[in-house]
Amino acid sequence: MSMFRQIWIVSVINFKSLRSRMWPSLVIVVGMACVIGVLLSMLSMIEGRNAAYKRTGDPMRALVVSDGAESEGQSTIPRDKARIIMDAPGIAKAADGSPLADPGMNAGIPVLRLNGTKAYNNLRGFGPKGVALRPEFHMVAGRMFRPGTRELIVGVSAHTQYQGMNIGDKVVLPDGEWPIVGSFTTGDLLDGQLIGDTETVMLAVRRKAYNSILARLQTYDSLATFKKALTTNPALSVSVERQSDWYKKINEGFATFLSIVIYGVGVIMAIGALFGCLNTMYAAVSVRGREIATLRALGYGAFPVAVSVILEAALLSVTGALIGAGYAWIVYDGVQSGFGQNVFHLSVSPALIGMAIIWAVVVALLGGLFPSIRAARRPVVEALRAT
Amino acid sequence: MRYFPLVWAAIMRKPARAILTLLSVTIAFTLFGLMFGMTATFANVEARAHADRVFSGPRFGGTGMPSAMVRQIAALPGVKAVTGANYVGGYVQNPKQRSFVFMGDQQFAKVFPDWPPTPAQWQALYKVRNGILMSRIQAHMWHKKKGDTFTIVAPGQARADGSKTWTFQIVDIIGDMPQAIGGFNFGNYDYFDKSLKLADQGKVQEVDMQATDPTRSTELAALIDRTFASSASPTQSITEKMAYAVGNNFGGLDINAVMRDIALAGLFMILFLVSNGIAQSVRERFAEFATLKTIGFSDRSVMIMVALEAAFPCVVGGVLGVALATVLARLLPGMMPPGFGLPMPTMELWVFGLAALGAAAVALASATIPALRLRQMDIATALSGRT
Repeated sequence: MSMFRQIWIVSVINFKSLRSRMWPSLVIVVGMACVIGVLLSMLSMIEGRNAAYKRTGDPMRALVVSDGAESEGQSTIPRDKARIIMDAPGIAKAADGSPLADPGMNAGIPVLRLNGTKAYNNLRGFGPKGVALRPEFHMVAGRMFRPGTRELIVGVSAHTQYQGMNIGDKVVLPDGEWPIVGSFTTGDLLDGQLIGDTETVMLAVRRKAYNSILARLQTYDSLATFKKALTTNPALSVSVERQSDWYKKINEGFATFLSIVIYGVGVIMAIGALFGCLNTMYAAVSVRGREIATLRALGYGAFPVAVSVILEAALLSVTGALIGAGYAWIVYDGVQSGFGQNVFHLSVSPALIGMAIIWAVVVALLGGLFPSIRAARRPVVEALRAT
Repeated sequence: MRYFPLVWAAIMRKPARAILTLLSVTIAFTLFGLMFGMTATFANVEARAHADRVFSGPRFGGTGMPSAMVRQIAALPGVKAVTGANYVGGYVQNPKQRSFVFMGDQQFAKVFPDWPPTPAQWQALYKVRNGILMSRIQAHMWHKKKGDTFTIVAPGQARADGSKTWTFQIVDIIGDMPQAIGGFNFGNYDYFDKSLKLADQGKVQEVDMQATDPTRSTELAALIDRTFASSASPTQSITEKMAYAVGNNFGGLDINAVMRDIALAGLFMILFLVSNGIAQSVRERFAEFATLKTIGFSDRSVMIMVALEAAFPCVVGGVLGVALATVLARLLPGMMPPGFGLPMPTMELWVFGLAALGAAAVALASATIPALRLRQMDIATALSGRT
């Protein structure tokens, strides 16, 4: 009889007898369900946030910020420099021949979350090319702000996190109340933010310089031309990046920090579950001592017996992981959420579920290995005699 | 106590099971301790907040507020002491190692008398223009001691000569504060301000003050914001109580609920494990218990024995787990990469109390059903082995 056939038969016998060992087996299932449920629930935030950052950055757009700035808010681009930047080579042209580039500004607006706690939302300035640069931008309700007037539009998701973010609400700026006249969607992080006319908002918050310049690249490879023009100009002290790289960079530090914390918690829990798994599998092997010995006496090899023990642990562990992943998916996947200044959807992606299954298999391998060795090594005669 | 030898014998009947259960429970309580220890840390920060302090910053971000505002705020009714401050923020050696120096004026010590520096240390700082007081966490992070120099590259803050490198003299090493997770450095505002280009001088990023009447600090914050609402530098003011409130931090996440749920998931995991173990142990020794009852052990004493057997892993694992959490809380800061701002758990007495409660709950819940079964057992059937 081939090795695989032996493994198959022994495993089937195992699985059929699982019912009589239901409660101890559930220890593994529940343990893994807890580990994966907690892990994926927490990771859904990072996954959703990462996805939103990824969508927000377009590799065909270049973002220009002042040297060393780590956020658009930290960056300053004076008006005269902005002119030079937007006239640089490498930028795509609009139908009228003007460069597809736009000076932007960002201001933090103090807001209240729905639960009354304090937060800031981002008010972003769009210049004349703000919309043309962003084909993903669509009005959803109301109308676009009129340039030069004290009007704002709001992203479709902002009202799910903050108070006073609906059409008709007013945002207090230094020169008075600005009504929200429309709502828009871009399908990315901007969906949580406010947008107004760059020049008019700058006047209100008394800024003299822009924060950043966003430009559409002529071709994917135009970045080098554009970058060279800006970095070799001694009048400028700016850095240029693809917008996608920029968002990746500003997300990275925090995402890594949070991942380390979450995986730390996950690993601690998994170690707890691992001991539970070892416990159950040792018990299972000892309960089935005579059955295993009988199989061995019938000519089944030690290896198939050992493998079948690990397979049993894996079956239970993966079942638990799927239950935990299912819980996280049902409760959190796609839920509109917010963290800091970002509004996004939580996500329990197939990749996360795949990772959960790998964790389950690893726990089963570690938790099944020693019991399986014991099962395979036990002298047949002794096991048959044992009561 | 007279049951102890019997209970001990029962536990040691299956030493592997006892040890693995114990390890699993230990891990769950390590997690429990870390999670609630973190909650304790946040609660401590909140409790330490001074009711009379108010912080004002630029409402819409930007490049700071004129330092003249410090005097203007000092002139408002209800203000006791006022201080203005700015920061040098950047990196040490490589851009991933972030640090900052808080640059306060000489009124700072009056507004924050509870901060770690002693009057002598403040005086020593004022004597060295480019001096800083460095907290222990920072000193440990950068391997610095009293008398060393400390250099930060601040890409966004050029000095008058165009250089972005700021070199400070470490005047003394001071204690840390729970709200400054990654430690802090404190320097002289005057040195900072005079190092900048003339056009950049005279700006503060925050104005902090004490209210004469702590019960009216919220009104004071509102008064300041009203006063500067239509000025060139509108303010956003917040009381220290509000600024340190757990709900206003962590980006809107209910961090305490998250911690609690993780800790409870860990307990649920071991509840299953422990109750299974005890149920199995009782099942295996059903005839033994029948014998005990036959020779005169009361229902009560048999049930107590089961409860003690269940309590053993919970109590010992609970103690070991929380002890491990306490050790980890001490060791973790040293294990983190520099600048990794993870708050550390504080093992307050109530955390131990809560862990004891958790352990008791798990022990009781897992012992109940087996104990009831023993009370209702039919001795004759059990003795005959026909269970």
